[in-house]
Amino acid sequence: MSLNVRPILSALLRNRTGAVLVAMQIALALAVLVNALYIVVQRVEKMQRSTGIDVDNVIVVATSGLNDRYDSVAATRVDLDYLRGVDGVVAASAIGGIPLSDGGNAEPLVTTPDGNRADSYNSFEFDEAALDALGVHLAEGRNFRHDEIQPPLTKEDAARPIAQIIITRALGERLFPGQDPLGKVVYDSLKRPSTIIGVVDPMLGAFVNSPHPDWVYLKPRAPTTFIAGVNYFVRTRPGARDGVMRVIEEHLNQTNPDRVIHWVRPLSYFKNLSYLWDRAMSIYLLTVTALVIGVSTLGIFALATFNVSTRTKQIGTRRAVGARRRDIVRYFLIENGLITSAGVLVGCALALATGYWLSLHYALPRLNLYYLVGGVLALWGIGQLAAWQPARRAAAVSPAVATRTV
Amino acid sequence: MLAYYTQLAFRSFRRNPGLSALMVLAIALGIAVCVMTLTVYHAMSGNPIWWKSERLYSVTMDNWDPNNPYHEQPNLPPPELTYQDARHLFGSTIPQRKVIMFSTSGDISAAATTPARPARTRFTTADFFAMFEVPFLYGGAWSARADDPPQPLIVLSREENEKLFGGLNSVGRTVRWNDHEFRVSGVLDDWFPRPRYYDLNGGHFQEPDSVYLPFAWGIAHEQLNDEEADCWRPEVINSYPDYLASDCVWLQMWVELPDASSRARMQAFIDGYWAEQRKGGRFERPRNNRLTTVGQWLRDREVVDNDNRLLVGLGFAFLAVCLINTVGLLLAKFLNGAAITGVRRALGASRRQVFIQHLIEVGVLSLLGAALGLGLAALGLAAIHHLYAAAHLFHRGGYQELMHFDPIGVAWALALAVLATLAAGLYPAWRVGRLPPAVYLKSQ
Amino acid sequence: MLKMKDVSKIYRADLIETYALRSFSLEVAAGEFVAVTGPSGSGKTTFLNVAGLLETFDSGSYELDGTDVHALSDDARSRLRNERIGFIFQSFNLIPDLNVQDNVDVPLRYRRLATSDRRERIQSALELVGLAARMKHMPSQLSGGQQQRVAIARAIAGDPAFLLADEPTGNLDSLMARQVMDLLEQINDMGTTILLVTHDPELAQRAQRNVHLVDGQVSELQAYEPRVRAAAPLGETAARA
Repeated sequence: MSLNVRPILSALLRNRTGAVLVAMQIALALAVLVNALYIVVQRVEKMQRSTGIDVDNVIVVATSGLNDRYDSVAATRVDLDYLRGVDGVVAASAIGGIPLSDGGNAEPLVTTPDGNRADSYNSFEFDEAALDALGVHLAEGRNFRHDEIQPPLTKEDAARPIAQIIITRALGERLFPGQDPLGKVVYDSLKRPSTIIGVVDPMLGAFVNSPHPDWVYLKPRAPTTFIAGVNYFVRTRPGARDGVMRVIEEHLNQTNPDRVIHWVRPLSYFKNLSYLWDRAMSIYLLTVTALVIGVSTLGIFALATFNVSTRTKQIGTRRAVGARRRDIVRYFLIENGLITSAGVLVGCALALATGYWLSLHYALPRLNLYYLVGGVLALWGIGQLAAWQPARRAAAVSPAVATRTV
Repeated sequence: MLAYYTQLAFRSFRRNPGLSALMVLAIALGIAVCVMTLTVYHAMSGNPIWWKSERLYSVTMDNWDPNNPYHEQPNLPPPELTYQDARHLFGSTIPQRKVIMFSTSGDISAAATTPARPARTRFTTADFFAMFEVPFLYGGAWSARADDPPQPLIVLSREENEKLFGGLNSVGRTVRWNDHEFRVSGVLDDWFPRPRYYDLNGGHFQEPDSVYLPFAWGIAHEQLNDEEADCWRPEVINSYPDYLASDCVWLQMWVELPDASSRARMQAFIDGYWAEQRKGGRFERPRNNRLTTVGQWLRDREVVDNDNRLLVGLGFAFLAVCLINTVGLLLAKFLNGAAITGVRRALGASRRQVFIQHLIEVGVLSLLGAALGLGLAALGLAAIHHLYAAAHLFHRGGYQELMHFDPIGVAWALALAVLATLAAGLYPAWRVGRLPPAVYLKSQ
Repeated sequence: MLKMKDVSKIYRADLIETYALRSFSLEVAAGEFVAVTGPSGSGKTTFLNVAGLLETFDSGSYELDGTDVHALSDDARSRLRNERIGFIFQSFNLIPDLNVQDNVDVPLRYRRLATSDRRERIQSALELVGLAARMKHMPSQLSGGQQQRVAIARAIAGDPAFLLADEPTGNLDSLMARQVMDLLEQINDMGTTILLVTHDPELAQRAQRNVHLVDGQVSELQAYEPRVRAAAPLGETAARA
């Protein structure tokens, strides 16, 4: 049984307009589908990448002093002692800066005293319990010692040097490419040296929407209070977080009248907030893609139906001279298939061109060909599916139509 | 004839209700997605003041070290000015509005007896509020006269007012800031543009300013910004006047210049001052005095999100699909009615009249689609606003801009919808006019 | 009134030329009732299309009511068609979703007449065909004969120079057919020229003159006696339909 494509093709070419319109829609839909999906997957990967922090089990408590009697060091010590004793708590610490919150401190570091201070890196104020409180893995070297933790900065004493710091491995690669950063010395904006005593890996800092959120370094110092208050970070056993949140919020609100609790939030709150745009983008992309495919499908369906209705006489005649229902269906599916294939072909070129342009202007990696193949198959299938019902309707046309004159 | 053709259009819709509904829906969806995307694009392109952003300019001069460019951006001058430069430039009468400001932290309380809390403070001149279209809930800003001599007036953010006075109208009441007394002149409504384009210090997650105080008062009381001092010259700074006279940069300056000529004059003014100062030994770097619009400012400081143009592109791609769809469906619909069109031709309608009749039909279709589309867009934007209002991103002013659906924008959107659809309908209307009436009269 | 001289119409399909009309000549004087007959394939349809300005012709000349139609633009031809010719089709060709009144209105609309003027014309045209009472009815609510009479009203409402009827009774039973022909004769009596295209010789006999077409050419002309006037007034005949 031959497909007999040529007569169908020549009939189609004689009446091109409708076919061209359908093909154009398919082409656009393919370009949109492939690229949108690709971008969405990138976003999802970004949101799901490893942070190095035990996000689901960490609670952040924001506090600050209410009056002159407030002594941040003492208050912090009392509160942390309490927190560490709460059932379900694994570790607690006072940290300056909130990881994954899309905002924080950045200061320059260079490898030589007169180095060009071109880049600033995200920094946090850690105590000796902070790594534990975040669940960050220390890959090399050692943690800060209790005696190394400096008291908080004050307005008068705002430019104190730091002798030791811990950095992320990524920052190590950045500052000392190919070498082991442990033990090396870096300099701050006032040319004072700090020794790298430890390397953590992995860890994301605050600026999760920047190209290098893992360029982070940690300072051993109690949080600076004259800009913001003191944030406590509490890590709980898996599953215990929500219960612990309630308990500690109630308790902390009642103790220490000189210290106020602004809020108690899970660290995941900040992570979700920082990724809100990515999530919204993904939803938008998926929605519009779905709409594009939906509108195209409906359009193909409507046009196919119309095509059938104008050719009832021809169909009837074919049936009258011996075509079976199957043959009619096959005829229309082949015709539609030719159009869909043309559309898919053009769509491929369009998708590749768009993908290339996107990669140039938006720093996206080049389009993965698997997406293209998947898109082609999907759209070809959809294009044919849309014409299925009209083709069946065509097959139902009675052969008697051939002899009717009115 | 227009009324007749419109009548015929509605009859035609009634004859093919399914097809007509599909077309209106497709156009409406295309318009809705486009309009929503464009609005969100404006709101989220990181340009919270997009309707005015080309009239607002940041003023910067490159007074930096001749041996080293300013560290963050090698071709750009420092984002802030020295006190001397800001003071002098502020004296120009060319700008429609002008502002110099810095931010710091201070301790605030409602009375001497209640404990003080730290509050983000902005010292600014009076034009700030009008220039950046800051909404007031109660009262208003201090007048420009309050800058000189400086009066102890204070403007509170809505949140700060809730903390201090439980949200009541506190205009006229006193507030203590760093142990000084100020009188409340106004309370702001929710306002937190993201990003805080006029002061990009603090990175993305900038803390909102809680209180606003007159700039002159700050200088008179030796207030400083609380960022690390940004200086390059090894000069001796032992006192506040020394700091004011130094080459340290710490003040932000913005001007509102309504047209190209005032912009040119302002640039000339700045360049003239620069030349003068250079003769006196300052400004050793090549001339780099800039008036930067908000949009460019955000791009320079790499705050603008590239994503947004993608969205707009996608929105238009979808509109294109909808319009191509419409062309196909219109063609089908018109050709389906070929027999009737043939009768009309036989009865004396010229090709032009048939063309116009069908174009009017497309026009009615496009108006219906546009109306529905705008309605859908408004619903969609309200939904987004509602959904994301809970998150700080949209609350506090940044996404009030989502609802900045100004009448000009709406008119543009409507025009786009109708014109695009008419363009889509041109070909089918033309095709149906060319049909030879004879053929269609015989075949019934 | 109508002067066709040596009109030829050629259909070209690839390399084959078909002469649908071959040096066809015809003169119709005002007030005449002429029938054009011929077997299928003789060119009757082509003649109809050319005479009705629905198609152009390739050679010869055609003068309609004093106007040479040869070099006219589509706009001008449409106007001529609208003002001078009244069409009556075999399959009535009423617009199905317009009522009787609006159907008769269609050609008048293209003339930009005042609303009152149009309404008057529609009223008198429908009265003439005896269907004034059915003004608001839809075509689907009328019998075949009534539909054709509405079509006739539509054709005469604009006071055309001549009526062009294509097998007007082809889809009607004999009773309705007779009524329609009576109506046409009545209209002709009132002074309107009528050109009737048909393959039915009986129908052709009711005309004053016959033109017989074979292979695109006139083969014979026959003239008949002036026909016998209708026995009963039209109104009664209509009521019985």
